[in-house]
Amino acid sequence: MVADLTAADFLQASQQSPEKPSSNIEAAALQVESLGLQLDGKVILHGVSFSLPTSGVTSVIGPSGAGKSSLLRCLNGLLTQWSGTISVAGASTRQWHGGWDQLRRHVGLIAQKPVVFNASIRANVCFGIHGWRQRRRADELVEKSLQQAALWDEVKDRLDAPAVTLSVGQQQRLCIARAVAIKPGILLLDEPTASLDPRSKQLIEQSMQQLAKETPLLCVTHDLEQAQRLEGSTIFMCDGRVIEQGESKQLFTQPQCIETREFLRWSVCDCN
Amino acid sequence: MNAQRLLYRDTISKSIVWLLAVPALLIPAIVLCYIFWQAAPVLDWGFIVGTADGAGFGITDGIFAQLLGSLLLAVMACVIAAPFALGTALFYRTYASPRQQRLLTAMFNMLQGIPPIVFGLCGLVVLVNLFAWGISLISGAVVLALVVLPLLVLNTLATLERIPLDYTEAGMALGLGSGTIIWRLWLPRSWLNLLTGLLLAMARALSETAPIMFTATVFSGVVWPDSLFSPVTTLQTHIFYLAQEGNDPQVISIAWGSAAVLVLLVASLGLLARLLHKLGEH
Ligand SMILES: Nc1ncnc2c1ncn2[C@@H]1O[C@H](COP(=O)(O)OP(=O)(O)O)[C@@H](O)[C@H]1O
Ligand SMILES: [Mg+2]
Repeated sequence: MVADLTAADFLQASQQSPEKPSSNIEAAALQVESLGLQLDGKVILHGVSFSLPTSGVTSVIGPSGAGKSSLLRCLNGLLTQWSGTISVAGASTRQWHGGWDQLRRHVGLIAQKPVVFNASIRANVCFGIHGWRQRRRADELVEKSLQQAALWDEVKDRLDAPAVTLSVGQQQRLCIARAVAIKPGILLLDEPTASLDPRSKQLIEQSMQQLAKETPLLCVTHDLEQAQRLEGSTIFMCDGRVIEQGESKQLFTQPQCIETREFLRWSVCDCN
Repeated sequence: MNAQRLLYRDTISKSIVWLLAVPALLIPAIVLCYIFWQAAPVLDWGFIVGTADGAGFGITDGIFAQLLGSLLLAVMACVIAAPFALGTALFYRTYASPRQQRLLTAMFNMLQGIPPIVFGLCGLVVLVNLFAWGISLISGAVVLALVVLPLLVLNTLATLERIPLDYTEAGMALGLGSGTIIWRLWLPRSWLNLLTGLLLAMARALSETAPIMFTATVFSGVVWPDSLFSPVTTLQTHIFYLAQEGNDPQVISIAWGSAAVLVLLVASLGLLARLLHKLGEH
């Protein structure tokens, strides 16, 4: 359903943002080095390091309380009191041109619980769009974004209906469309399908796989089967540390670390 | 036997609580009935609309001028205070450091604790005399604005606090700046509640007498003020002046009539505010 319009066409149509440095070496889309975070005197992240390739899905798994959500909030600058370095496309996010607001436009974040604004579906998709040039082609952009989020077919006849009338699953896809509409360079998703119906789950996974062809995706998930379905690589986090990172196939079948093995064993038990 | 004792005790404590609550239930009802009973002889449409030439000192010509003056002062006070209240509350929520927040909270608590008559006195010294604005609509409105400002700020803060953090963060995650978040997320979501606060502040401004007594009002002779710098007559001060006359029953019943109209005005503002608040919940 989204096959005729891929993320590739979409991103090609967008201009390159001026803050993106054009390096000739193949830089990682995102490089995190010894990222530490303390909140209210409690250490949440202990020196997290990993990197994201320039495309494809990277899943993050781990028990709840491991600091996965906090990690994502550091990456897009919702939290700023971290230590260490985060570089996006070779540039440090602390010295990002235009500050944190501009960084957040480049590093999109989809929250676990969808939050739609009190406005129409169309207005929600357009919320982050700046500038007359973009606004003039808003209709086109709305259609493309909704198609990328696998929501277009369900809402194309009622774009002006209030967004709150959508089901939760649809609202989550609307949030994805809203984030995709501003053409982020990286997309972070925090348990995007937790507590959604199977149909929405499937559509969101489909849409993520399409998006991942051009944009690197970092997806936190508690659903190990989902991590396996999404392919790409997987990061296992526990107690604010990255325990293991590797190709998903490898990590799920032959985990190297004992903690990973334990976690996978217990999680499989949980599912049954 | 024991159960019987317990039952007695229960009945007794229940009756005591009831008895203590009775005044709170009855007195407002009695006062309201009394006001309208006393006002009944003069209360008719002609009394409210009046002849509106200001020649009858608000006694023989109805209270239109007084009603108009009260409303003008209350509306102007809110119009003056509202932008400052909104600005202060938004500053508090977005840019203020924790220290500035504590300072602001202390300031507004203090401002709320100052008796209104003190504001009236300050208005007389600074606005009426020093600025030479005279006893005028504008002096009164500015003083009243100061009186309702803390109320408006606290209400606006409470309204902004009810906006879930998720909602704001969803906007931040789209890279919206704080200005955009305020204009496109916060205000569209909470304007009904802000309007509720404005109506309550207006009701408060209508009930204040002390701040305007030396700064804005004269006994009679004005209907439509010529400019911001002309004095006005108001219902509140009208009641005050008439009650001082004391003896003439005709004059006293005019005072009751004015009181009834003022009570109705304040009550209907309160009712409207409740209605808007209910609407804002959805
Ligand atoms: N604002 C905060 N202040 C203090 N501790 C926090 C805050 N937010 C999260 N935490 C703590 O950080 C830890 C990691 O939380 P989180 O990142 O939400 O984990 P996950 O998403 O992996 O379940 C938890 O123990 C949580 O209690
Ligand atoms: Mg989480």
